[in-house]
Amino acid sequence: MTEKKSTLIETPREKYDFVPDEKICYDVIIIGTGIVGWSAAMYTGRLGLKTLIIGEMPGGTITQTHVVENYPGFISLSGPELAQKVENHARDYDIDILLGKVEKIEKNKSNLFVVLTKKQKFNSKTIIYATGSKWKKLGVPGEKELENKGVSYCALCDGPLYKGKEVAMVGGSDSAVKESLLLSEYANKVYIIYRGEKVHPEPINLKRMEEKVEQGKIEVINNTNITEIKGSDGFVSSVVLDKPFEGKTELSLYGVFVAIGHIPLSDLAKEIGVKINAKGEIIIDRKAQTNVPGFYASGDVADTSFKQAITGVGEGVAAAYNAYEYVNKGNYVMPTNSEMNENKKITPLIRTKTKSKTAKKK
Amino acid sequence: MKTKKSKEKTDLKKEKEKTVIVYSTSTCPWCEKTKDFLNEKGIQFKNVNVGEDKAATQEMIKLSGQMGVPVIDINGTIIVGYDPDRIEMVLAKRK
Repeated sequence: MTEKKSTLIETPREKYDFVPDEKICYDVIIIGTGIVGWSAAMYTGRLGLKTLIIGEMPGGTITQTHVVENYPGFISLSGPELAQKVENHARDYDIDILLGKVEKIEKNKSNLFVVLTKKQKFNSKTIIYATGSKWKKLGVPGEKELENKGVSYCALCDGPLYKGKEVAMVGGSDSAVKESLLLSEYANKVYIIYRGEKVHPEPINLKRMEEKVEQGKIEVINNTNITEIKGSDGFVSSVVLDKPFEGKTELSLYGVFVAIGHIPLSDLAKEIGVKINAKGEIIIDRKAQTNVPGFYASGDVADTSFKQAITGVGEGVAAAYNAYEYVNKGNYVMPTNSEMNENKKITPLIRTKTKSKTAKKK
Repeated sequence: MKTKKSKEKTDLKKEKEKTVIVYSTSTCPWCEKTKDFLNEKGIQFKNVNVGEDKAATQEMIKLSGQMGVPVIDINGTIIVGYDPDRIEMVLAKRK
């Protein structure tokens, strides 16, 4: 496989326009096309499981990360680059790929999982659920109205639009500080507004942040919440703080970037009886197994405390191996002809048929 | 001469009608996906890097009423964000 030098996502959409076979029973359906999903797919493909991976956005949330420096084997690379490498690796095996949204997961009489998109349905012996998470919103007045009008959840995307301006980053995590460092390359000044006592990035990023603080490019405002985002002429003009900063509770700004954590995308799993914790994360064991036999979960959607690309990938691989073991034990009954005929009545969503992969390896 | 000028004007109008503009930043992964998608569909487009061009930023804000990228202008129809289904729908209507 040829390595591509560009840092950009290079996979053409046509490569996703594959028609998965509704008439067969997959060994595993992986839901989610972030790096965790692709890693699981690489392994299930490698283990010879008939695999279908379905996702809305190839690459997932890591594609919004500017620099990844903590993924073993790569000293530094961009999030999109890492995502592309993992996807390419998975594509080196014999797997089916569908770009689309899963609407529902059910279980049929044969103890098989039935995965439904808007117009298709597929049977599978196991599920690896790697849907990840979405950014939490602040939930303050003005946020919704001014989204994309100064309120942004992607510093990597929109940062360059704030050249020479004052912006805020809300949050105190490593992600928030990393995004602030990126923003400081463009903005005149970045205010990190954090509700806690002290921001808590990785030590290496803390050091980088402190250097920027010394240069006057970043200023940290701890123990403070934003209570409102105000606009002028339809765009962000200031934020209201719950405590005075330099004697004022209103801070003039052009942009507000939000990185205050994630909400796990576990709804579909919950509907089928998968147990979740109070945070909405799927409870898994060391085999990435949930309480529902044959249903595995991994990555940001699972209840792991230290959520990193590498830990998610590890869980995805554990899920793949344990799905393989489950399939080999045969804890299901093959679907009846009538059940498979039911599937045939459904019109495929995508009609272009192209081969989804390159080489086949065992 | 008049006819030639008129023809040139019509050609220019036709050319303008065909124009697809992608307003993007150099770091935005969704912008790259959008451009990849247009390339794969064989759609010619003009890329405008709003991170490096203040006037273009203002133009994009004026057209879309917002500051998120990518913004795709297909013959005056504005699409905000990476939305292949919508892009395809608008392109199909154009034909």
